[in-house]
Amino acid sequence: MSENLDSLTAAQIASGVASGDFSAVEVARAALDAIDSRDAQVRAFLQVTPELALAAAEEVDARRAAGEELPPLAGVPFAIKDNMNLVGTRTTCASRMLETYESPYTATCVRRMLDAGCVPVGKANMDEFAFGSSTESSAFHPTGNPWDPDRVPGGSSGGSAAAVAAGMAALSLGSDTGGSIRQPAALCGVVGMKPSYGAVSRYGVVAFGSSLDQVGPFGRTVEDVALAMDALVAGGSDAFDGTSRAVEASFRAHVNDDVAGGRVGVIPELMRAPGLAPEVARAVEEAADALAAQGVELIEVDLPHLDAAIAAYYAIGPAEAFSNLARFDGVRYGYREPGCPNLAEQSAKSRARGFGAEAKRRQMLGAYLLSSGVYDKYYYAAQKARTLIARDYESAFGRVDAILMPVSPTAAFKFGELSDPTQMYLSDLFTISINIVGNGGVSVPVGLGADSGLPVAAQLVGRPFDDARLLSFARAVERGLASAGRGLAGAVAPLFAGKGGDLA
Amino acid sequence: MALTEDDVRGIAEYATIALDTEELAAMTAYLNDAVDMLEPILRYAAEDVEPTFHPMGGSANVMRPDAPDDVRALPQDEALANAGSRRDGQFLVPSILGGER
Amino acid sequence: MRELNDVLRDWEAVIGLEIHTELTTLKTKMFCGCRLSHDDEPNTHVCPVCLGLPGALPVPNRGAIESIVKAGLATNCEIQRRSMFYRKHYFYPDMAKNFQTTQGPVAFCMHGRLGIEVAGRGAAERPECAFGASEAESLASASANAAGLSRAMAEQLPEGADARPSAGGAACGSAGGAVCGSVGGSADATAPRGSVGAEGRGSGALAVPVRHDDGSYEATIRILRIHMEEDAAKMVHVGGEEGRIGGASESLVDYNRCGTPLIELVTEPDLRTPEEARLFMEKLRRIFLTIGISDCSMEKGSMRCDGNVSLRRRGETGLGAKTELKNLNSFKALHDGLAYEICRQADVLESGGVVRQETRHWEPSRKRTVAMRAKETADDYRLFPDPDLEPFDLSDEFVEHCRAEIPELPDAKRDRFVRDYGIKRPDAEQLAGDPATAAFFEESAAGLVGDAAQTVANLVVNDLAAHLKASGSTLGESGISPTQVASLARLLAADAISSNQAREVLEAMAGSGEDPEKIVDERGMRQVSDAGALQPIVDQVLEACADQARQYRDGNQKVIGFLVGQCMKASHGKGNPKLFNELLRATLEG
Repeated sequence: MSENLDSLTAAQIASGVASGDFSAVEVARAALDAIDSRDAQVRAFLQVTPELALAAAEEVDARRAAGEELPPLAGVPFAIKDNMNLVGTRTTCASRMLETYESPYTATCVRRMLDAGCVPVGKANMDEFAFGSSTESSAFHPTGNPWDPDRVPGGSSGGSAAAVAAGMAALSLGSDTGGSIRQPAALCGVVGMKPSYGAVSRYGVVAFGSSLDQVGPFGRTVEDVALAMDALVAGGSDAFDGTSRAVEASFRAHVNDDVAGGRVGVIPELMRAPGLAPEVARAVEEAADALAAQGVELIEVDLPHLDAAIAAYYAIGPAEAFSNLARFDGVRYGYREPGCPNLAEQSAKSRARGFGAEAKRRQMLGAYLLSSGVYDKYYYAAQKARTLIARDYESAFGRVDAILMPVSPTAAFKFGELSDPTQMYLSDLFTISINIVGNGGVSVPVGLGADSGLPVAAQLVGRPFDDARLLSFARAVERGLASAGRGLAGAVAPLFAGKGGDLA
Repeated sequence: MALTEDDVRGIAEYATIALDTEELAAMTAYLNDAVDMLEPILRYAAEDVEPTFHPMGGSANVMRPDAPDDVRALPQDEALANAGSRRDGQFLVPSILGGER
Repeated sequence: MRELNDVLRDWEAVIGLEIHTELTTLKTKMFCGCRLSHDDEPNTHVCPVCLGLPGALPVPNRGAIESIVKAGLATNCEIQRRSMFYRKHYFYPDMAKNFQTTQGPVAFCMHGRLGIEVAGRGAAERPECAFGASEAESLASASANAAGLSRAMAEQLPEGADARPSAGGAACGSAGGAVCGSVGGSADATAPRGSVGAEGRGSGALAVPVRHDDGSYEATIRILRIHMEEDAAKMVHVGGEEGRIGGASESLVDYNRCGTPLIELVTEPDLRTPEEARLFMEKLRRIFLTIGISDCSMEKGSMRCDGNVSLRRRGETGLGAKTELKNLNSFKALHDGLAYEICRQADVLESGGVVRQETRHWEPSRKRTVAMRAKETADDYRLFPDPDLEPFDLSDEFVEHCRAEIPELPDAKRDRFVRDYGIKRPDAEQLAGDPATAAFFEESAAGLVGDAAQTVANLVVNDLAAHLKASGSTLGESGISPTQVASLARLLAADAISSNQAREVLEAMAGSGEDPEKIVDERGMRQVSDAGALQPIVDQVLEACADQARQYRDGNQKVIGFLVGQCMKASHGKGNPKLFNELLRATLEG
C-alpha cells in the first residue's frame, strides 16, 4: 500500500525516516512529485531545487546507514521564502532587481533548518521585497490560494504558506514584518508563527524593516511549528545578528502542556472593528470557547494605543525599507541598466527598472519621512508611539498570559480585489502591533468560514520571549477544535490532496 | 502642506529612482495620500516618552571580539560574481561626473 | 596677496579641524571579521557584511570601541556611557550599503580638550592683539555661532531623545546660548597636562591664551566630539587626468578598506592660526601613537585632516562664510594650505568679494587651493538610529578597563624626562612624542642624569633621527640598539670622539651591529684629549695665522672658531675641539 506525503506531519516524516519506514530520498522524491503535480496551478515556487533536495536527503540516509543518530527533522521537506539566502539557489525577493542574484552565503535560519535535517525543496514566491499582503506584487507571477486558486494566498509570505497548504512541503519559512507570516497562514489554513523579535536570527534574510522583521515557520500542525522553532533557536543567539537572543529549544517539549488555569485576554473593542467579517469574529469566539473548555480563564483587556500602531508601522516600515534597499544600485549585484553615460543615471535607471511599483513607493515614502524637518513629525513620533503601545501590552500581560484576536479581517480575497493600497494597509490592523513591539504571535486555523467556505483563523499573541507557552495555547485551540470536529489540523487543501506525493 | 511634484522630484533624485512625468504625478498623489494616513502619529510627537528604536528592550553593548573571521571572507571571484560590470578584480562603474546627456 | 602674519593682524581666522584616524592596529574591520587590508589585491578582504550583500548584518568590534574610549580618555573627553550608531545615507559606491554607519548627536567621546604650546617663529602668527580679554570674546562668539552640533543640544538631551545632528555640518541655528562654562580672563590657560579623562563639565571651559615675554604662548583647544564610524572603499578613476574624478571615463571600486574602523575627532573652532592647527594635529598624533590605536600615517592616509576656516575682522563677533579644505595630508600641507586659504579669503574680502561656502582642494605643488564643489544647500543624509545595532550603555568596568590600558601620555612623559633625566624640554618633548623613540631613549639613558642623559638625548633626537631619515628606516629596522647608543654617549662624554665623528660611528654601528668602542678603535678615530699632545699644534697654527691671532687679541672673539677649525685640520680631525678652544684662548690670552 502506498502512503501519501499528505497524510504525514513533519513529526511523522522525521520519525518514519528515523525508524526506517521510508527513506529520506523517498520522501524527497514524493515531495518533488507533489510539486510537479500541483505547482503548475498553485505557483508557490519561484525555484524548485531537486538537486539540493536529493543531495540533502541522501546525506540523511547515509547518516542513518552509518548508524548515526538523526537530527530531529531528518528528511522533512521544507520551502524557503525567496528573501532568504541559500547557497546554490537564487535569492530574488520576487524582484527583477535580483532576478539572477545568487548569494555566496546561507542565512542562519536556513542553515539551522538544514542542520536539523530538513530537505530544501525550493524557494517560495512572495510580494516583491515583502511589500504586500497578497503575493500579487511578485515580479514573476502570482500564487494561488490552494483552497481556491482564484484567490490570493495572502502575503507577503504567500508562497511559503501555499506550499505547505497544498502539501508540497511539510514546513516552510517565512518572514513577518507586519503580518507576513500570520496573515497568509490564516488565509491558507495553516499554522504560522512570528516569534518574538530576536528569537530567530535575521542574518542572511534580505531586510525590509530591520526593527520589525522576524523569521518564523509555517506547518500544518502546531506541533510541527514547535519542532521548526526548536530547530530555528537551536545553537543559541547568532553571533552574526547582534539583535538575536538565546532562546531555549523547548517548544516541542512544552507544546502539549496543560493550559488549565491559564489566563487569555480578549479585546471586545477589537472584535467590533469595522470590516471584520462575521465569520472571522465567529472563528475567534470558537477559539475562545475551545480554550475556556480546557480551563482557561478569559479576561477582557484593553490596548488603548492600538490605533497608533498602523500609522507607526507606516512611518517606521518605509523609513527602514528605504535605508535597507538603498544598497540595490546595480554596482555590486542586482539589475544594472546598460549603456548609461554616468553613474547617477545608471543607478537611478537600474533602481527605476529593477524595482516594482510598491517597492519604489515605499522607498520614496521612507526617503521623505527621514528627511530633515520631517523626521521629527513622523518617524520620531512613531518611535514614541511604539513605547506607548509596548506599555499597553506590558500592562495587559500583567493580567493575562496570552491575548486572543483575529488575524486577517476576512478570508482570502480574489486577485485584484484589494487593490487600493490604503485598504490593504487597513487589513493589517490585527497583525501590525506586535511587529511594532516585538512580541510573538501565532495564527491557528479554526476551520472553514460559514460564509466563504474558506479557511478562517484566530491569532494568539504572547509575552516577550514566552513563545513556547504561546504555542501551548495554540495547541490547546487546535486540540479543542479537533475534538469538536472543527479545525483544519494537518489537512492539505482538498483540491490538491492526493495529487502526486505518493511515497514509492 | 501637500507635497508638490517638485518636492517629489527632489526626493526621487535623492533616493536615486528615475521617474518619468507620468510616474512623477502618480507618485506625488501616492505620497500625499500616504502622508495623510500618518496623521494619527502627529500627536505623539509631543508625548513625553522615550522613543523605542529597538524593540524588546534592546540588549545593550553587543560586541564581538576583534578576531578574524576567515570563514565568511569571500574570495575575489565570489565577491565579484554578481556584479554587472567588473575589471581587474574590481567593480566597474561608469563616469561619476561625465557624459550628462 | 598679503603675507599671512600681515593678514592676521587685521583679520581673525576661525579654524576648526575634522580629523579621521583609521584604527590600523586592530585585527579586523568595524562590523565584520574581515582582516584589515594593507596594500592587498583588490576585493580580497571582503565578506557579505562589508560588501553590503543582501541580508548581511553588522556586529561591532569590541576592540574598536575600546580604542575610541581610550582616545577619548587621552584627550580629556567625557566618555558617554549611552550612545548609538546611526545610518547616514548617500548614494555613492564607496559605501557598499549606500549608507555609512556612524554616530548621532551623542558620540562615545564628547567635550574634550588638548593644550598646545606655541613657540618660536610660528607663535608670531597670532598677533599681540589676539590675547587677553578680546580673545575671550572671540572664543565665545566663534563657538556660539559655529557650524556643527551645539554643546547644549547634545548635552541637555539623552541619546535618542533629541533631533538628529543637522545634516552636513550645516549651521544649527538654535545655538544661541550654547556656550557654557566660565569665560575667564584668568591666567589659568593650560589644562592639566596628561591627566587622563578629567570628567565633569568644566572641561569645556574657555581658556584664554596668555603670551609670555619670549612671544610663546599656550592655548587650550576644545574637542567637540570623537565618534566611531566605518571607512569607505577606495575608488580609482580611470581615463581622466592624474586619476582625478573630473574627466574620468569610468571608475573602479575596491572594498578592501570599506568598513575599516575609523574615528572622527571634531574640534571646536578654537584655532586661530595655521601653526596652532599644525601643533594640535602633531600633538594628537603623538597621543594616538602612544595609546597604540593607529599607525597615524598621514602619508598612507590612516590619519587625515580637513580644515574649516573663515575670516572675520578683528573685534567682530559674527562669523564669515567658511570653506572646507581637503588634501591636507601632511603637517606642512595642513599649515601651508590653511595659510594660503586665509590669505586668499582676505584677498577676496578686501577686494570687495564674497567668500563662497565651498569645499576646496589644497594643491601642494602649485601652492594654492582650488574649489571642488559649492555647498549651496546642506546635504540631507537622512540620519536615523541603526535598527541593526542596539544601543550602548558602557559599564564602569569597561571604561576603567580602557583607562587602565592607557600608558603614560606624551606630556606626562616629557615632564618626567625633564624632571628625572634633566634633559632640555624641547628634546624631552620630541622624545616623548613617539613611544618607540621614548622607550629607546629610556633604555639608552638608564641610570644617567644631567649632561650624560642630555648627550644621549642629543644622539637620539639629532644624529639617530637624521640617520633614520637618510636611510629611510624605522628605529626597529635600523639595527641600532640602546646599548650601542649608551656606549656612544659615553665616548662623547669622555671626549673620546667629537660630535661630528659620532655621526660616522652611528653609520658604522647600524651596518655592523658592533660596539662603538670597537669601531672607534678600529678606525683610529679616538680623539686626542691630551693637552700636551695638542699644544704644539696650537702653537703651530697661531704662528701660521698671525693675522687672526692679532684680531683676537684686538677683541674679535669670533675668530676663535676659525682657529679651532685650523687646529682640527692640522690634527686630521683627531684633536678634541673643546680642548683646542681652551688651549687657544689660554695661549692667546696668556
